[in-house]
Amino acid sequence: MDSKFDDDMLVCRCEEVTVGEIKEAIAQGARDVVGVKRRTRAGMGLCQGRTCEKMVQQILCQELGISPEEAGCSSIRPPARPITFGTLAGGMKE
Amino acid sequence: MKYYDAIVIGGGLQGTSTAYFLAKKGLRVALLERDDIASGTASHTDGATLISDKQPGIDVLQGYHSVELYRKLVKEFSYDIEFESCGFMYVCETDQEMEAAADYAAKVSAQGFDMRVIDQKEMCERERYLAKDLKGGLWTESDGLVNPYKVCLGFVEEGRKYGLDVYTHHEVTGIRLNKKNQVEAVITDRETFLTDKVVNACGVWAPAIGNMVGLDIPIEPRKGILLVTEKSETIAHTEVLEFGYWLAKFFADFKRPVSELVERHNVCLNIETTHSGNTIVGGCRLFRGYDIKVEYEIMQAIAERAIRFFPILKDMNCIRSFGGIRPFCLDHLPIVSGVEEVPGFYIAAGHEGDGVALAPITGLLISQMITGEKTEFDATELAWSRFKNVDRKKLAAHGN
Ligand SMILES: Cc1cc2nc3c(=O)[nH]c(=O)nc-3n(C[C@H](O)[C@H](O)[C@H](O)COP(=O)(O)OP(=O)(O)OC[C@H]3O[C@@H](n4cnc5c(N)ncnc54)[C@H](O)[C@@H]3O)c2cc1C
Repeated sequence: MDSKFDDDMLVCRCEEVTVGEIKEAIAQGARDVVGVKRRTRAGMGLCQGRTCEKMVQQILCQELGISPEEAGCSSIRPPARPITFGTLAGGMKE
Repeated sequence: MKYYDAIVIGGGLQGTSTAYFLAKKGLRVALLERDDIASGTASHTDGATLISDKQPGIDVLQGYHSVELYRKLVKEFSYDIEFESCGFMYVCETDQEMEAAADYAAKVSAQGFDMRVIDQKEMCERERYLAKDLKGGLWTESDGLVNPYKVCLGFVEEGRKYGLDVYTHHEVTGIRLNKKNQVEAVITDRETFLTDKVVNACGVWAPAIGNMVGLDIPIEPRKGILLVTEKSETIAHTEVLEFGYWLAKFFADFKRPVSELVERHNVCLNIETTHSGNTIVGGCRLFRGYDIKVEYEIMQAIAERAIRFFPILKDMNCIRSFGGIRPFCLDHLPIVSGVEEVPGFYIAAGHEGDGVALAPITGLLISQMITGEKTEFDATELAWSRFKNVDRKKLAAHGN
């Protein structure tokens, strides 16, 4: 199959995860964005997948022949953006 | 229909470990998981592998055996589970805590295990970012850390080398027994598998599997919440818990000099810096059903408590939080056992806050019970039969 994703291409910049590593995770049994994340750390960095999630989804769709809905997305957890412990402890919402 | 010598239900810590040890012994084994591997509590937890944080007696003993097994497994595995023997520290805030801690350490050392009192100076040498006004603590050299979901993936990958079959996205919906009440088949939403041995390793969901064969398993979810920092230099060089965490686990009426917010949410510090350079900070112990939602107020209380012990965190970023549920068993001990009244049915569940540490020994014990070998040590205290003909209310020891 003709692939538009080169194996060396960097997908998750925060955690430095490549297309090849994501394909390997899929071969090991990952079926969705969360499964890829657990196996590779893609989406676990500072930006929490804001930059790479769409691309991880596309690779999953291409490799498994599934829809973006089936590939899913990462569960949303607070905080919405990085916030210091000091601010948190002070009771200030972002 | 496919036949297996043994079927393990639940692709979490206990299930993957059990499946691995059974396959290694040469049995034909299937592991059934309703979602993906490690999608339950295994991916919503810390990774401390401790003999500490347990009650003197069988609890510490199984902790010891399990940590030693981790040491052996990392040498055998080609899959990296990020095991680190970093040591473990309890920190005490008050003289009263210090006294209770010394008493606890004496009991553990009397059992022959390594746990000793350390003074404030040694504590701060080991943890340079720790607040300087603490009283002292306990130190256990042999304790450490793993990456919990990688442990599950590791057991699966290594198990496959021994022929383990893994069925993810198979939800077990029923178990068929024959006329003698023996296990005959396991039914999932996709297939039926024949077998005469089945292991219930479903953690907080173990009671639902128990119901399928008429058992009332006394496990309840006990919630915890963790905050994750941005990557940085190592903040915690060892695994650190406030001693109040242990006291709060076993003694519901224990009181600490803390704010109303921290008190109300039963928040106690635990902290570890992981392999990836993120620091994970917790935590709390709450009975809130199966809900793993993160409450903002609890995040606030955890941040407050964390800064109390590690002031450096004040200016560090929190990038994520998550909640998880511990499989709390009525008397604080896991059930690692066959079930006499349902021959062929085994339970490996109820590890509360120790299921990462105890996964290797639990898997090994169940595999030995199934093959009829002598078990690693006498595991009678972990047997299902302890719940027979007793008033469960009297066994219960739970607080908040
Ligand atoms: C916040 C927090 C911090 C913790 N920190 C530590 C720590 O530092 N050290 C430590 O040792 N322990 C710790 N624990 C405890 C530890 O995480 C648990 O004891 C452990 O995860 C339990 O493992 P398990 O295999 O029993 O359950 P799980 O890992 O939850 O596995 C059960 C599996 O069964 C599957 N399942 C359920 N129903 C079905 C069905 N019908 N069919 C098929 N599959 C099914 C689930 O999907 C799940 O994958 C912590 C827990 C929490 C919540």
